[in-house]
Amino acid sequence: MKRVLCTLCALAITAITAQVSAQEQEFQTVMTPAFSPITWERLVNAKDEPHNWLMYNGTLDAQRHSRLDEVNVSNVDELELKWAYQIPEIDRAETVPVVVDGIMFITEAPSNVVAVDARTGRQYWRYNHEMPEDLRICCGRNNRGIAILGETLFMSTLDAHLVAIDARTGNLLWDTEVAKHDSGYSKTAAPLIVKDLVVTGIAGGEFGIRGFIDAYDPVTGELVWRTYTVPGEGEFGVDTWLGDSWKTGGSATWITGAYDPDLNLIYWGTGNPGPDWNGDVRLGDNLYSDSALALNGDTGEIEWYFQFTPHDVHDWDAIQIPILADLNINGQNRRTMMWANRNAFFYTIDAADGQFIQGAPFATQTWAQGLDSVTGAPIRVPGLAPTYEGIMVSPPITGGTNWYSPAYNPDTGLFYVTSFDGEQIFFKRDEDYEEGERYTGGGGRYDQPMDAFQSYIRAINPLNSEIEWEFPIMPRSSAGITTTTGGLVFSGTADGYFFALNAETGEELWNISLGRRVHAAPITYEVDGQQHITIASGNVVYTFTLDD
Amino acid sequence: MRLQASVLWKGLLSLGALTLILAGFPSSAEDAGTLYNTPYDIAQGERYFERQCSRCHGFDAKGNDETGAPDITGRLNRASNEVGIFNVIRNGVPNTAMLPVDVNLPDAQVWQVVAYVESLRYDPNSVVLDGDADSGLSLFIGRGDCSSCHMINGQGGRLGPDLSRVGESTRPEDLMTAITEPHEDVAPRWWTLEITGADGVPRSGFRMGEDSFSVRIMDNDSNLWSFMKGDIQSIERIERSTMPSYDGSMSESELDDLVAYLFSLRREEN
Repeated sequence: MKRVLCTLCALAITAITAQVSAQEQEFQTVMTPAFSPITWERLVNAKDEPHNWLMYNGTLDAQRHSRLDEVNVSNVDELELKWAYQIPEIDRAETVPVVVDGIMFITEAPSNVVAVDARTGRQYWRYNHEMPEDLRICCGRNNRGIAILGETLFMSTLDAHLVAIDARTGNLLWDTEVAKHDSGYSKTAAPLIVKDLVVTGIAGGEFGIRGFIDAYDPVTGELVWRTYTVPGEGEFGVDTWLGDSWKTGGSATWITGAYDPDLNLIYWGTGNPGPDWNGDVRLGDNLYSDSALALNGDTGEIEWYFQFTPHDVHDWDAIQIPILADLNINGQNRRTMMWANRNAFFYTIDAADGQFIQGAPFATQTWAQGLDSVTGAPIRVPGLAPTYEGIMVSPPITGGTNWYSPAYNPDTGLFYVTSFDGEQIFFKRDEDYEEGERYTGGGGRYDQPMDAFQSYIRAINPLNSEIEWEFPIMPRSSAGITTTTGGLVFSGTADGYFFALNAETGEELWNISLGRRVHAAPITYEVDGQQHITIASGNVVYTFTLDD
Repeated sequence: MRLQASVLWKGLLSLGALTLILAGFPSSAEDAGTLYNTPYDIAQGERYFERQCSRCHGFDAKGNDETGAPDITGRLNRASNEVGIFNVIRNGVPNTAMLPVDVNLPDAQVWQVVAYVESLRYDPNSVVLDGDADSGLSLFIGRGDCSSCHMINGQGGRLGPDLSRVGESTRPEDLMTAITEPHEDVAPRWWTLEITGADGVPRSGFRMGEDSFSVRIMDNDSNLWSFMKGDIQSIERIERSTMPSYDGSMSESELDDLVAYLFSLRREEN
């Protein structure tokens, strides 16, 4: 009897030892960050390593298109939840994670970052940014993501700092104050790496700031160049501002841009002029507000600009992500920039020189008769500026689209954008500028319940602006889009769905209710030969795969 | 034992600190609460509110689902009096987008904002109405037949909004509009949807819930139905109320009585 017991003991010990050994092996794999340093060459060729998602927009051309195709039109309805990561800080998540060789970096409100195993969602390390109490933020405690170069992460913070974090440990390497947070400046967007520079924008367009785009040394954190998005005394364009109004001209730069290595141009959008809704104090076109800027990749000098909405009085920021692609325009291959603007017009523009190619509305709008066929400038419907009493205009403040990431699929040749058909009553107020105080000069209100309106995922042909298909979703959707070689378009809804459509036809292929607003853009990557798809919804980051 | 003593001391110290905080905070509150409520103060508070608070709370202060900012024109969740409102504005609400105001903002200015918020939260008890609430109750359950559709304190129908506390959130003039012009401002919850599902059977009901991929209704027999939009053969949305107008079918004084009754439907004050 005793011998039997001992045998059983031995068997049990052997079993436990084998189990522990297997766990150790697995644990060891998980414990060792395996990624190799991210060189500039890897970022330039990010398309060639679709198992990673190396930057906010996926690739430097910002197409948000992945070559992964394990998940495709024939099997996407078999997607299952792989893991979920709960963000401890309660706020809406706008994070777009970056994935490097099996490690995922997730940013959280207010300005924290966590590194997790991309296969399990379990944590390696966490960085919590120390935050002052007197933040000036217009629209929530948002952070959208990081950039990576070498073994260093770069993150914008709500107190208008740029920080560098060791990608293997989460240790802080440097912390640079970009601007004074108590003057109304803040930072929410993921930086963009351009060669050996960390390029980054600024938020605060509702506080009468003077916008800019900066480049920092990734090793020291020192400022290399700053390009103001509102011209100063004696500079070209300052005469497009009444008197000294340029000093509080806004034109913030709160979303990540794109870069073309061949043209050595950085493309970046600018926000509304300040104050938002009362243009009386800033008569003129208000350069370079609501514009696409093309900056020299070395010096930051403005090579060309394209102003979508001169003298904007409706808060229609050009804070969208420029998408670059080669298109055949009338038999000629041209490098182009595609842009679905908050003002409800879609534009195709020559990426080399900013020349307008074509454009048309992609969402309901009442403010313009159309675009000038040569310059692309809007032909305004007169009398639709905000009044003290209020005036109905379409699109509403939130725009035909907004900052949410669009996508372009070179296989279909279609541009995908989350769009909104709505209208709003705009009104203005008289306000004096006070440093650190809101400076908006008015606002807007809806006169119908939100459910009376409709959002859509729209697929636009960039050669002629025609809408090839549209998929209706509930109003005020604010999710970004990712498209794949698997023939899919992934996006989310304001009412908490994540879904996949056929990129060619718009047919619904799969959806899952995640319960809370999707306010971020999806990414896709591959670990252990398996395609993963990740999206933040509410306060949770979800990852899906096909069944193992 | 020593550990327990240490815990006790920490507890006492915390209590002491709390007492100090309490002694520090409301002193300005109690002193100032009634000093800054002139029309000028309210106007100044409104000006500050429009600039600093309206982005989240709305220019009408009725809140915003997207930002999560609550309606502050009615009952407040985080404050029961002026001092509470002052503290929320001054200190913010931790771990939410409700940030504290600038530390350098003078208390006087915070009080002006409090005065403005208070001005939005009118005191229903101070409102004097022409109608008689008891007569209104008789009309409600009698000739008006309101209770066949509306529930009050658990009694009545399900084909209209529960009116148990309608007097807390709705002003008398809006109650009158709802009775005489029911098609004005129909909340999406009370729109009617006519849906033909996969079984080919048409069903009509109130819009209990709708999202991008599914929709749920309650029909007139209180049956609950849920559909996936992808399976629906047809769907029609009727953005009108099913309630009849009482304009003309009741006299003006009867309408006043009905409004007086509905306006009296509020939570018991503590």
